[in-house]
Amino acid sequence: MSAFLVRRIMHSLIVLFVMSVVIYGLIGLMPGDPVDLMISADPDVTAADAARLRAIYGLDQPLWSRYLNWLSAAAAGDFGYSRLYAQPVWQAILPALSNTLVLLVTSLLLALVIALPAGIFAATRPYSLADYGINLAAFAGISMPPFWLGILLILVFSVILGWLPAGGTAEAAGATGTWERLQFLILPVAALTIAGVGGHTRYMRASMIETLRQEYIRTARAKGLSESRVVLGHALRNAMIPVVTVIALDLGILFSGALITETVFAYPGMGKLIFDAIMGNDYNLALVGLLMATALTLIGNLLADVAYAALDPRISYEELDA
Amino acid sequence: MTSLKHLFAWTFLTLIFAAFTGPAQAKNDLVIGITQYPSTFHPNIDSMLAKSYVNGLARRPLTTMDARWETVCVLCEELPTLENGGATLEKTPDGKDGIAVTYKIVEEAVWGDGTPITVDDVIFTWEVGKHPKSGVASTEGYRRILSIDRIDDKTFTLHVDRRTFDYNNLSTLNLLPAHIDRAKFAEPEAYKTQTAFDTDPMNPGLYMGPYIMTQAKTGSHMVFERNPKWWGKTPAFDKITVRVIENTTTLEANLLSGGIDMISGELGLNVDQALAFEKRHGRKYNILFKPGLIYEHIDLMLDNPVLQDSRVRQALMYAIDRNAISERLFGGKQPVAHTGVNPLDWVFDETVPKYAFDPAQADRLLNEAGWTKRSDGMRANAAGEPLRFQLMTTAGNRTRELVEQVLQSQWKDAGIAIDIRNEPARVFFGETVTKRKFPAMAMFAWISAPESVPRTTLHSEEIPSEANNWSGQNYTGFKNAEMDVLLEEIELELDRDKRKAMWAKLQNIYATELPALPLYFRANSFILPKWLKGVEPTGHQFPTTLWVENWTVAE
Amino acid sequence: MSETVAMAAEAPGRAVLGRFLRHRLAVMSAAVLGVLITLALLAPVIEQLLGIDAEAVDLFARYAAPSSAHPLGTDELGRDVLVRLLYGGQVSLFVGLTATIAAAIIGTTIGLFSGYAGGRFDAFVMRVTDGVIALPVLPLLIVLAAVDLGKLGFSESFLGSENVSLYRIVAIVALVGWTTVARLVRASTLSIKTRPFILAARAQGAGAGRIMFRHILPNLASPIIVATTLSVGNVILLESVLSFLGLGIQPPLPSWGNLLTGAQETIWEAPGLAFYPGVLIFVTVIAFNFVGDGLQDALDPRARDRRAADQH
Repeated sequence: MSAFLVRRIMHSLIVLFVMSVVIYGLIGLMPGDPVDLMISADPDVTAADAARLRAIYGLDQPLWSRYLNWLSAAAAGDFGYSRLYAQPVWQAILPALSNTLVLLVTSLLLALVIALPAGIFAATRPYSLADYGINLAAFAGISMPPFWLGILLILVFSVILGWLPAGGTAEAAGATGTWERLQFLILPVAALTIAGVGGHTRYMRASMIETLRQEYIRTARAKGLSESRVVLGHALRNAMIPVVTVIALDLGILFSGALITETVFAYPGMGKLIFDAIMGNDYNLALVGLLMATALTLIGNLLADVAYAALDPRISYEELDA
Repeated sequence: MTSLKHLFAWTFLTLIFAAFTGPAQAKNDLVIGITQYPSTFHPNIDSMLAKSYVNGLARRPLTTMDARWETVCVLCEELPTLENGGATLEKTPDGKDGIAVTYKIVEEAVWGDGTPITVDDVIFTWEVGKHPKSGVASTEGYRRILSIDRIDDKTFTLHVDRRTFDYNNLSTLNLLPAHIDRAKFAEPEAYKTQTAFDTDPMNPGLYMGPYIMTQAKTGSHMVFERNPKWWGKTPAFDKITVRVIENTTTLEANLLSGGIDMISGELGLNVDQALAFEKRHGRKYNILFKPGLIYEHIDLMLDNPVLQDSRVRQALMYAIDRNAISERLFGGKQPVAHTGVNPLDWVFDETVPKYAFDPAQADRLLNEAGWTKRSDGMRANAAGEPLRFQLMTTAGNRTRELVEQVLQSQWKDAGIAIDIRNEPARVFFGETVTKRKFPAMAMFAWISAPESVPRTTLHSEEIPSEANNWSGQNYTGFKNAEMDVLLEEIELELDRDKRKAMWAKLQNIYATELPALPLYFRANSFILPKWLKGVEPTGHQFPTTLWVENWTVAE
Repeated sequence: MSETVAMAAEAPGRAVLGRFLRHRLAVMSAAVLGVLITLALLAPVIEQLLGIDAEAVDLFARYAAPSSAHPLGTDELGRDVLVRLLYGGQVSLFVGLTATIAAAIIGTTIGLFSGYAGGRFDAFVMRVTDGVIALPVLPLLIVLAAVDLGKLGFSESFLGSENVSLYRIVAIVALVGWTTVARLVRASTLSIKTRPFILAARAQGAGAGRIMFRHILPNLASPIIVATTLSVGNVILLESVLSFLGLGIQPPLPSWGNLLTGAQETIWEAPGLAFYPGVLIFVTVIAFNFVGDGLQDALDPRARDRRAADQH
C-alpha cells in the first residue's frame, strides 16, 4: 500500500512538472505580453517606457529562461508575484480557493445526497414510471447551458420573488447572521448542484443495475432477504465503486466548471481567478492556478484508485500499479 | 396551529414596521456597483478606470478637471497661471524654453493618519515617478520636471523643461505618502511589490480624501468609511461599499433586488442596456447619460493598397448611416463623431467635414476609383478583384458586435463586402492591432482627455514596427507632414486662439484624410436611486467620485 | 472468425431497432432531433418562403413582436428571429456532430493501437491521455485564436472567411475530446484481443492491421456510437459556454450559443430572445442524451439481459 502510494505520488509530481512546462509554454505562446496590455490601457506610455517595463518584469528574456527563473524560485517556495492583483500569488489564490471549495464541497455533497438515493431508487425499478421521471430530471439538469440556468435562477428568486440576493458574497453585502450568510450560497450552490446531480444519478443507477444482476445478489435474494437488505446491505458497496471513481476523477474539472457559476453570481473564486489571469496575461497566477487544477485531477485519480482498492477486495494495489 | 398564527402575526407586524420605518430611516450607507476590480491601489503604477474610480473616494489629486472641463485646484490653494504670476517663463539650464510653476498645498491638508501633506510628499512622488526601476508605467510627465524647489513646507516650485499649454495641470501627479512609502522605496526595484498601497492598503495614511478604505476583498468588494482627518466638506454617507459585479445582467439584477443602490456610469451598463432599463424602471431611478471622451472608431490599415485611395476611404464614410446607428441603437445618447475631438471640447471645430449618409456620393466616389458594381450588386475593379475588407474588433463586446453587423449590412448595400472576424481582447490588443496585423479595419476606442494632443496615434514617428520595438499607437500607418508639424506645435502653443486655429486645421486634415473612420463617442450611463442627489457626470477621465462630498440624500 | 459473425448476428438491425423503439423517451427524442435537423437544413427555404433576408439589418424594426412576416419577431438589429435560430441550429448541430465524430475517430485510432500493442507503448499513450485530460482548455483556445494560421498553410480566403471560429472550435474539441473514446476503446481492445477468435485469426496469420480493423473494431462499434452520441450534446453546451466567455462562434455567424449570450444582456427587455435559443439548446442536448441512452440499451446485449431479467 505505502509503496504504491509513494510510487503514485512520484508519478504525479512528474506529471505536474511536465504540465508546468506545457502550461508555461502555452501561456508564452499567447500573443502579446502584460506590457502590451498596459500600453493599450494608457496612451501616455511611450516606447521608452515600454522597453523599460519589459526589462523590469523580465519580459525581454526568452521564455525558457523566464521559466527556469520561476522554477528555481518555486522550488524555494516562492511562486511569484501576481501582476494582476498586485499580491504574491498565494495571497491572491488562497481566499479564492477557500471560496470555491465552500461552493464546490457544498454542492457536491448536496448533489450526492440527492443523486445516490435517486439513482438507487431508479435502479431498483428500471423502466418504471419513476425511473423515467428520474432519468428525465437527471438529463434535464445536465442539458441546460450553465449561465442560462444561473440567470434564470437570479431572475426568478432575486428579481421577481425577491427572496435571495442576486449574487456576490455575504461579506460584500456586510451580512453577518448565519442565515444571511447562507442566503448568498443558495443560488450558486443550487446552480452547481442542478448541473451536477444528473450525472451522479445516472452513474449510480447504471452501477446499481449492473450490480443487482450479479450472482451473489441472486443468492442473497434466494436466501429470502428483504429487497432493501439486498440492495443496501449487499449491493450498495459494490455499486459504489465506479461511482466513487467517477466523482474522484471529476474533481479537477470542477474548478473550471465553477467559472461560469462564479461569473454569473459575481462570486470571487478559483475559476474566475484563473480565467482573469489568463485573459490578463498574469503568467504566475495563471500557471499556479492551472497547476492546482491539474494537481486536483491527479489527486482525484489517486483517490479513485485508493477507493477502488479499498472498496473492492478483489483488486490489489500491485495490479493497479501495472 | 397557534404558533403558526403567531408567526403570521409577527411577520405582518414586522412588515408594517418595516414599511413605516424604512423610508424615514436616514440613509447612512451607499452601495455602488461597478464591473471591474482594480489590480493595484497604487495610484501611479498604471492607469486603470476601476482604480481611479475608487481612489476618487479616498484620495485627492493636486489639480483635476471639473465637470465644465476646466482645470481646477483640489489640494492646492490657487491654480497658478502666467496671468496671476503663479507661473513664470524661464530658460532651462541648457538654454531651452522652460517654465516655473509654483503651487501652495492647502494648509489643513493631512493624510488619513494625521500627518500633514507637505512638499516632501511632492518630491517623493516625483522621485518615484521618474525612477526607471520603480515600475511606474508612464514616466513622461515626471521626466519633464527638471527640479523642484521647496519654498516652505507647503509651497513648491516646479521647473519644467517645456512650455506646454497645460503647464498648470498636475492631475497625473498623484501624491504618495513619503512618511509611509519612502522606506519601501529604499530598494527601488522592489518598490512595485513592496509599496504600502499593496502590502498594507488599509493604512489610513495612504489616503487624504473624504473616505479611507477599511476593507478590500480581491475581486469582490471594497469598503470605505469616513476619514476622521478629512478637512473639507463633510460627505453624506458614513460608509460606501463598492461591489464588483462583472456580468452586467447580474449587476442589473442586484440593483433591482436591492443588493446595490446605484450603478456607476464609469464602469457600468452599456447605453443600450441602460436605455432598456430606463424603459422599464425609469420612474424608480434617475438615469443620466453623459457622452464622453471615449472615441469609437475604425482604424484603417493604410498599407492596404485599396485603402490607400482616399476616395475609397471617403466612400466608406458616405455609405454608412451613423446617425441612424446613434439614434436607433443608442437612443441618441452616443453622438456621432467627426474626428477624435469631442464636440464638448472647446477646441472642437464646427466646420470640420462631416460625412452624412449619402449613398449617391459613395457610389460616385467608388466608380471614380474604379470599383464598379457587378451584376450581383457587389463591386469589383477592372481586374475583377472584389471590393472586400476584413473588419475586426474585440470578441464578446456586444455593442461593437452589433455596430459591426449594422455597418456590414450598410456597406453591403453600397456594394462593399465585409468579412467580420473578431478576436478576444487579449489577442486583438496584444498582437493584431499593436503589431499592425489587421488587413483592413480594426474597430476599437481611444480614451482621451480634454484637449489631449493625439500625437501617439497620428504622428508619423509613432508607427509601430519591428525596428522601434512595436511602440507607438499610429496603427494605421498615417503619414502626413502637415499633421506632424501641428502635433508638435499645438502642445507648445500657449495662446488659446492660435491653438484653436491649429486644432481646427488638425481636425480638417483628419476628417479629409480619414486615417480612421470616426463612429461615435461612447456615453456613460449612470443609474441612480431617486433619493441620491449631486452626482455630476464629468464626461472625461476624472470620475464622479472626486466630488463624492457633494452627493446628498434627498429628504 | 466465427465469433465475430456470431456477435454480429446476435444484434441484427431489426432487433436493435426493436429494442430502441421500446425506449419511449429515446424514440421521442430521435423524432425531435429529426424535426430540428430538417428545419435547420431547410433554413434557406424557409427564409425564401417568408420572403426575408436573414442578414438584413433593419434598425427601424428592432425587437418587433411576432407577426406573419416574422413568426417569432425580430432581434436587436431587426433581423428575423426564426430564421436566425434555424441558421444558428445549422451551426450548433454542425459543430456538435463534426467535433464529436472527429474526436471519436482520433480516440478510436489511438485506443485501438494502444490497447492492441500493449506494454510500454500502451503505458506511454495512457500517460499522454492523462496529460491531455488535465490540459487547460482555455489557454489552448486563446492560443489557437491567435496562431497565425497563414503560416500553417491555410489559404487566405479560408482565413478571411467568417467560419474560422467554427473550425477552431471543432479542432479544439477534437484535440481534447478524444480521451473518453480512447480509454473506452483501449479497455475493450485489451479484453477482446485475448478472446479465442482473435487468437485463432492470429494463428491463421492475419496481420495486426487486419485484426484490429476487421476483427476488433466491429465489436467496438456499440460503445463508440453510444459515447459519441452522448457527447454531441456536451459539445453543443460547450459551444454555448465558450460564447458566453466571448471565445465561441463569432457573430455574424449565428449559433445557439452566441444568440443566447447576446440575448442575456437584454433578457429583461426581450426575454424571448434568450428563451428560444436556451430552450433549443436544452431540448437538443437532452434529446441527444436520450438517444444515446436508448442506443446503449439497444446495442448493449447486457442491457437486453437486464430487461429480460426485469420481466419475470
